[in-house]
Parts: sequence; C-alpha cells; structure tokens
Amino acid sequence: MIIGYVAGEGLLHRAHPFTSLTIAAGVTLLAFALPGTLSPWVLAGMLVVLAVAAGLTGAVVTTLVFSAPLWVFLGIIYGVFGTDWAVAAVYAGRISAILLAFLLALAAVHPGRLVDALVARRVSFAIAYLLAATLQAVPRLQHRAATILEAQRCRGLRTGGSPWRRIRSIVPLAIPLVQGALAEADDRAVALEVRGAVSGCARTPLSPPRDHLLDRVVRWGTVLVVLAAVVLRVVT
Amino acid sequence: MVRLSARLLALIPLAVGINLAMGKFASTLSLPVFLDTVGTVLVAALAGPGAAVLTGAVSQTVFTVVDGKLMWLAFMPIQLGVAVYAGLAARAGVFRSAWRAGAGGLGLGVLAATLSWPISLLLFGGVTASGVSLIATILTALHIPVAWAVYGASLATDLLDKTISFMLVFTILQSLPSRTVARFPLAARARGRA
Repeated sequence: MIIGYVAGEGLLHRAHPFTSLTIAAGVTLLAFALPGTLSPWVLAGMLVVLAVAAGLTGAVVTTLVFSAPLWVFLGIIYGVFGTDWAVAAVYAGRISAILLAFLLALAAVHPGRLVDALVARRVSFAIAYLLAATLQAVPRLQHRAATILEAQRCRGLRTGGSPWRRIRSIVPLAIPLVQGALAEADDRAVALEVRGAVSGCARTPLSPPRDHLLDRVVRWGTVLVVLAAVVLRVVT
Repeated sequence: MVRLSARLLALIPLAVGINLAMGKFASTLSLPVFLDTVGTVLVAALAGPGAAVLTGAVSQTVFTVVDGKLMWLAFMPIQLGVAVYAGLAARAGVFRSAWRAGAGGLGLGVLAATLSWPISLLLFGGVTASGVSLIATILTALHIPVAWAVYGASLATDLLDKTISFMLVFTILQSLPSRTVARFPLAARARGRA
C-alpha cells in the first residue's frame, strides 16, 4: 500500500510532473463527464494497466483498500435501501478511478521536481515555497504533536474517560503546539526576509525537469479528450 | 489580494501543520470531530480573512496530498467559507468571550454543513468520510430520504466540530503572550484586550 512519492524509473517517473498531474485531472473530469454505468470502471481499468506498466501496482492495492468501505456504504444506501444498484455502481467506479489517478500522480511526482517545474514556468517563488514548506511542516508538526502528547501524559494528563473530560484534554495539548509553531514562524520569517523570498524576483531552478514532445502530446491529447467529453455531455 | 509578507509566508505552512496535527489529537482522544480548521481560524484571527483563505486553500490541497484522496479537493469551498466566516467573526469580536466564541462556532457549523452537504451528495452520493457515512447510512436505514440523511449527518458532526474549534481558538488567543500578539496587528483586536 502506498501514499506519496515512490522512487522509481518507470514511465510516469520519467514524465514531466505536469503530465502526470494533467492525466489525474483529466481522469477526474472524465469520471463525471462520460455517460453510462460502465465508463468510470473502464477509466479505472485503463489506469490499472498504466499502473502496472509504470511499476506502481502498490497504488492499485491502496485504491482497493480505500475504496472497499465506500463501496459497502454506497451498496447499502443506494442498492439495499434505494434498490438502484446502477447508481451505486456509477459512484463506486467514479470514486475508484479518481483515487487511483491521484495516487499514481502522487507516487510518480517528487515534490521537489514539481517545485522546480513551477519555478521554471515563472510561478512566484512564494507560491512554490508555500507548497514545499507545507509538505515539510506537516510531518514535523505531527511528530511534535506526538511528543507533546507523551509529555503531557507523563505530567498526568488523562486522555480517556467521559467525552467532556476528553474534550477538555485538548487544551493542554493544543496550546504548546500553537505557541511553539508561532515561535518557529518568527525565526522563519527572519530567514525568509534575509533571503529575499518576498522580493518578487524570478528565480532560476538548478535542474528543471525536461519537457519532451511526448509529454506535450499527452497533455494536449488529454485536454482535447476532456473537452470532447464535456461537449458531448452538454449536447446529448 | 493578500500581500505575502515574510511573516505570513512563514506562518501559513505552520498553520496548515496545526490543522493536521489537531486531527491527530482528536483521533487519539477518540473524539468524533476533525478539528482540521483550528489553524485556519487562528490565522483568520491573527492576520485577517485574506490570509485565512490562503491558509484554507493550501490546507485542503496538502490534506488531499497527504491523505491520498483527490475527492477532498472538492471540499475546498468549505475551507474557504470557514476562512471568510472566521475572519469576519474575529473582526466582529467573537473571540472576546467564551460564550460569543461558542455561538460563533455553532453558526460556522451550520454554514459548513450547508456547504458540504450538496458537494458530498451530488458528487459522491453522500459517501466520503467514514464517520459521516456511517451516520448517513444509519439514518437511511431509518427510512429518512438520502438527501436529509446526508445533511443530518453533516450537521451533527459540523456543529460539534466547529464549536470546539472556535472555543479552542478563543482559549489559545487568550493564552498568547503580549509579545506574540504585538507581532500580529489584528490579534489584539480579535481577543479584545491589549
């Protein structure tokens, strides 16, 4: 089971980051635009073939693990009580196709390569920094949250008992987490200021990802297919 | 458009981290809430609605990436709605007393449920997060129409979640040292004392 980047040399790893993201966005739109009960499942099937070809079969397993409980809920709500299994099948196929497309993009696109690709396209450094710094801050703060939890337990904080007691236990956990984060924000603000992060000047990435002809063909092809499907959906 | 100062650029990633870390606390304490907007509401009180909207947008994007479920991106309007509401509520002095914060949280709960319900129902058939889906399934089993079952499930979780979030931000704001408050021009006004 995989969530996030997986190192590799498969065809999706070699592709430009924008190509993988365009495919994921295209599949998401097609899952809603294509008519028929089977079309989301056909999309999901094509993605399974792509995942196997790209050496990312773990993404298929993750999709199955995530989707299975949702299939059960949809089956109960629309199939058992609503007696409309076709609606349940459409929603289930749609969710599975979207999940798999996104997990494949996540597994193939390294955040650093994405930031380089964005900066190479003259996207503001501040926006690229926001995405990269947030992806790094999340695991760090989750680790800090676990440390605070252990420390407060050592000091006698009870994390069980009645709902009211558990709600009150959040306060001694949240305050050190937030005050620590605000102190860190001070240090980081100084570091960003002296590096001219908000100066607005364009930056040059050291090794931006190469954008091959095939990448551009796939991206524009995806856009055209999506547009055709949306027009067809509106007309018919 | 928000002018991104160095302080704001440093604060937003950490506020997003707070959003996700609070979710970890909620699950450890076995609470039926997400608390994934505490960081966004805090930024709204410290730096205004514009900065909170940016925090909400980045938070939802990163949460989607971390959780690996693209469907969360469809719920972006809720984060943005929470950010705007919290920013306006902070300006109106909601974080100056506990009872005001509780009332403001209840209002946000109704807003969040009203925004999330059509997205959940129309795009995903009302089945998204397991806890909400479970309540919706139980209500459907009681022969309540699917649309009302999904709204009821969203309302039940959002009222509790957003009220706790607002009360928590009120407590955090009141506990901040004056030195920290002085660095955020809107913080003193939000918490109601210098």
